[in-house]
Amino acid sequence: VAKLCVCDLLVAQCDVNCCCDPDCSADDFSLFTTCSVPVVTGDSHLCSQKAAVYSLDVEANPPERIFNLIDQVNPSIFCIHSTNYKQALYLKSPEIPTPENFDRLLDEYGGATFSAEPDSWNLDTDTENPPDANETYRYEYGVPVQTEDAFLRLPSPVVSSWCSDANPAGFLVNQATKCIRSVSVEKCDSIQALSMLFYINSSILAVMFRSDTSVFQVNITVQSIVVQSVDGMRTLLNSSDVLRLPVVLGELCLNAVLGVNYHITYTDTGEIIEAAAAFVLGAISKEALSIEQSFEISFTQENTQPVPLSGNPGYVVGLPVRAGFRPQGYPFPAEILSSKHSQLTILQSTSTQDCLAAQGARAPVLFGYNMISGCKLRITAATKCQPLAQTLLDVLKGQSFPEYVASFGNSQAQDVLDWVPITQLHISEQILSNTLQSSCQIPVSLGIEVKWTKYGSLVNPQARIVDVTATITTTTLKQLPSGRERIIPVMSSVVFTDISSPAEPGYKAWPTINIRLPFDFFYPFI
Amino acid sequence: NMSSQLSSLPLQILLYVNGIYYIFYFLATLAMIIYKSQVFSYPDDFLAPDLAVLFLMAILEVPRLYLGFKGNLTEAEAPLGLSLGLTVGSVVLCMYLLLWQTYVLWADVLLNALLLAAYALESGLKVTAIAAFVS
Repeated sequence: VAKLCVCDLLVAQCDVNCCCDPDCSADDFSLFTTCSVPVVTGDSHLCSQKAAVYSLDVEANPPERIFNLIDQVNPSIFCIHSTNYKQALYLKSPEIPTPENFDRLLDEYGGATFSAEPDSWNLDTDTENPPDANETYRYEYGVPVQTEDAFLRLPSPVVSSWCSDANPAGFLVNQATKCIRSVSVEKCDSIQALSMLFYINSSILAVMFRSDTSVFQVNITVQSIVVQSVDGMRTLLNSSDVLRLPVVLGELCLNAVLGVNYHITYTDTGEIIEAAAAFVLGAISKEALSIEQSFEISFTQENTQPVPLSGNPGYVVGLPVRAGFRPQGYPFPAEILSSKHSQLTILQSTSTQDCLAAQGARAPVLFGYNMISGCKLRITAATKCQPLAQTLLDVLKGQSFPEYVASFGNSQAQDVLDWVPITQLHISEQILSNTLQSSCQIPVSLGIEVKWTKYGSLVNPQARIVDVTATITTTTLKQLPSGRERIIPVMSSVVFTDISSPAEPGYKAWPTINIRLPFDFFYPFI
Repeated sequence: NMSSQLSSLPLQILLYVNGIYYIFYFLATLAMIIYKSQVFSYPDDFLAPDLAVLFLMAILEVPRLYLGFKGNLTEAEAPLGLSLGLTVGSVVLCMYLLLWQTYVLWADVLLNALLLAAYALESGLKVTAIAAFVS
């Protein structure tokens, strides 16, 4: 105990106020003010132990250090009188690894955690259950989907745009790829990648391959066949049982695969139970040296209806804004109906720019993308106002303009509070006339303003839609003298505004000067 | 004729007190072992022998005291002799708890020393009682 010194940190140098430091001389001790370590003892639980007491005698001139070795007695009746367990009072020094005990030490301490008790009495280390014979290797996210010979291929462009057939499809990874394949019409029935058989002949293993048991195999069924003609028109075939192989007919090669869309159904335990492929077959003309093929794969869990999410949970820029209706009738309906027909859409400009011919072409509103589109309306003297106003409203708003917009990208239909109602505003442009609203108003512009904010943590903010306002601006239709015509521009726009409050910097408080006079500074006057 | 009483009164008193003291001793030692296992590092293969010795001593104590009472009251030397034999076993176990326990606290030392003193006195009194009964 006399040789232990906790405050001796500097080697061969005297530590300040460290009375037990052997590097300090008597002169150094005379400069100390106090002893930082007054007592060095062993375990205080022992009944009697040696203690080294250091103190500074400040009365003497110069101050000197006093060192005493005394017996310290623990007065408690529960002090340790003696012990027969050597490691009780000392820290165990760890074993140094040698080539002989390295494996044992690695087993014991090699993991992320190990127990403090020695496991020499742990009897069942050798009866660890051997890998269960019935355990199957289920598919996990990203693992290539295995077929009976290799992997399920999804041809995709690798370095250049040319198709490479060596890209395996990952489980639960929805992918869509497009690539170019070089073809020659004369040999098109011998090119494997152009025939349907190439994509459906190998069956998919339901679980991952195991060498001892046979695994259930899922055949790829043909879900539908769409035939695309040379000018691009697509027709869905009624019977999709017949396998259509490429055949050379004159100058064309028919039934060449232009696109494959795989749909895989899986269970929640990671097994594949169904696989279907939808084909787009087309005709290649003689001049074509290469065709573009597109491939897609999507995974659906069994007994669920997949709803495409626009973000999880915040909206992702570029994904469509989800919208829906609230069914009328009951006081507090519990669901918002959202389907493909109730999307938030905006008028899409066409090349002809004619509003009345543009009915039907609409573009979905994608989150974060401000869009503006428009068309031109030709008015003659004979146009009636009321039907024109209704038509324009249909053109601007579309067939079923939704009432609610999802606040988050993954808002569920059941959570009514997660859906934001669309506020509809009506502004009428009065062209300085006080003449009345009996002259009718036609809508000329629709502006959708989507206010969104950043929600969640500063490090990973999620976009959340807070408010959607659809503003219809109307103007009066002035009656034209007959024979004249006028062109009115009709416009619709979508604007996304970020209304998240900016982060405010936090500053430290200004340092203050703290001057206080003593209480009795003005004694005896106060 | 006055029938002389051979039973030893001091032995009877000592046996009675020993019984009561032993109950207190057993509970105190058990409590201290529990305390030690919480406060100090007490691995299982050190704890097991200590507990085994304590419980064995408790199991031995009951017949020992019973035989002592019976032998003294019926003035028969056979049960008293058997009790003496069991006392030897108890002394050994008591020595273990005094000297070779994993942690010997000061309270342990006191309790065991007292018990040993009681055993020694008891053994002496039993020997004289046996001598009195035999003769």
